[in-house]
Amino acid sequence: MASQGRRGGVSLPDRPSNSSSVLAKISRSSIVVRGKEAAGDAAFVAKKLLRSTGKAAWIAGTTFLVLVVPLIVEMDREQQLNDLELQQASLLGTPAPK
Amino acid sequence: MATPVLPPPPPAAVDTVVDYFNLPCPIPFEELHREAMMSLKPDLFEGMRFDFTKMLNQKFTLNHSVFMGPTEIPSQSTETIKIPTAHYEFGSTFIDHPRLLLWGRILTDGRLNARVKCDLSENLTFKANAQLTNEPHMSHGMFNFDYKGKDYRSQFQLGNGALLGASYIQSVTQHLSLGGEVFWAGQHRKSGVGYAARYNTDKMVATGQVASTGMVLLSYVQKVSEKVSLASEFMCNYLSRDVTASFGYDYILRQCRLRGKIDSNGCVAAFLEERLNMGLNFILSAELDHRKKDYKFGFGLTVGE
Repeated sequence: MASQGRRGGVSLPDRPSNSSSVLAKISRSSIVVRGKEAAGDAAFVAKKLLRSTGKAAWIAGTTFLVLVVPLIVEMDREQQLNDLELQQASLLGTPAPK
Repeated sequence: MATPVLPPPPPAAVDTVVDYFNLPCPIPFEELHREAMMSLKPDLFEGMRFDFTKMLNQKFTLNHSVFMGPTEIPSQSTETIKIPTAHYEFGSTFIDHPRLLLWGRILTDGRLNARVKCDLSENLTFKANAQLTNEPHMSHGMFNFDYKGKDYRSQFQLGNGALLGASYIQSVTQHLSLGGEVFWAGQHRKSGVGYAARYNTDKMVATGQVASTGMVLLSYVQKVSEKVSLASEFMCNYLSRDVTASFGYDYILRQCRLRGKIDSNGCVAAFLEERLNMGLNFILSAELDHRKKDYKFGFGLTVGE
């Protein structure tokens, strides 16, 4: 960051300072630049992926809520009704119909 | 020795040999996709509705219905425009089973629907349909003559706007029936032909229909058990290049009937009819259109029947 700030704008002529020149050299080296680009790209992709995953999850969730939840509830009710009938039949001692 | 009497053909052969003179009567041409429509096209609505049916006697029934909720207005833009509406509908039905049916509905906004179905003779049925509105050019009338043969049905249609149509469907084997239709709409200067096939056994129904308007419709319904049937449909319009595939289920349980469907346009719908009591039904309807972000929910109560 600091090196970039120094690079941009009116820059003083490079002083033969030891440490700063090493830092500048490192930050200007192609590996670091490429790493920065890669990190930026990764962040962008991750953001996009997260957003689309969220959207997909939303669609899947609402679809599930509309299509499957009523089915589960009704199947459960049916099962309960069947159980109740079976219980009553066994209590009365008559064989259950069907 | 006398010539041996021909043994009766084995039962397996009986099953495969088709008795071409004893074919069942096919279902009417316009009801070809009946099973798929039943599962995939429940009458979804948005808002609140209340239906009350009162049987005055064996033949005469009165019907009151209230609807409140937004209705969509057709517009050119992609955004759907909804305006809140409310109307009351009064209807009466007269059934002299099985010879005559008279059916009428009138709405407070001035729309009137009427239907007549009358058996003229053993095989010939006359049907009339009318939709009258107070807007000009929106009223429709239609007369149908249906002839039901032993293993075929034919229909002749006559409608306003110089609409003429005829259809014929014939059972080819025990399970397969083939049909065709011709129509001519004089007002719009359009005409067309269509062909259809239907294969049904007691476990499944498969239908296909092609028309010269570019429409191709394939449907398949599988009855998984007595209570459950699964339906799928593929609709494609060759000329306008829109394709829709949909899949749905239909559960008929003791206390309720639940229908759900999902289609390739990103539209999900469910329709639940719950029987609360004898003659008291509760209806829930949900429809999500993910693409258009159009969500419709409705509830209703049906009393009587």
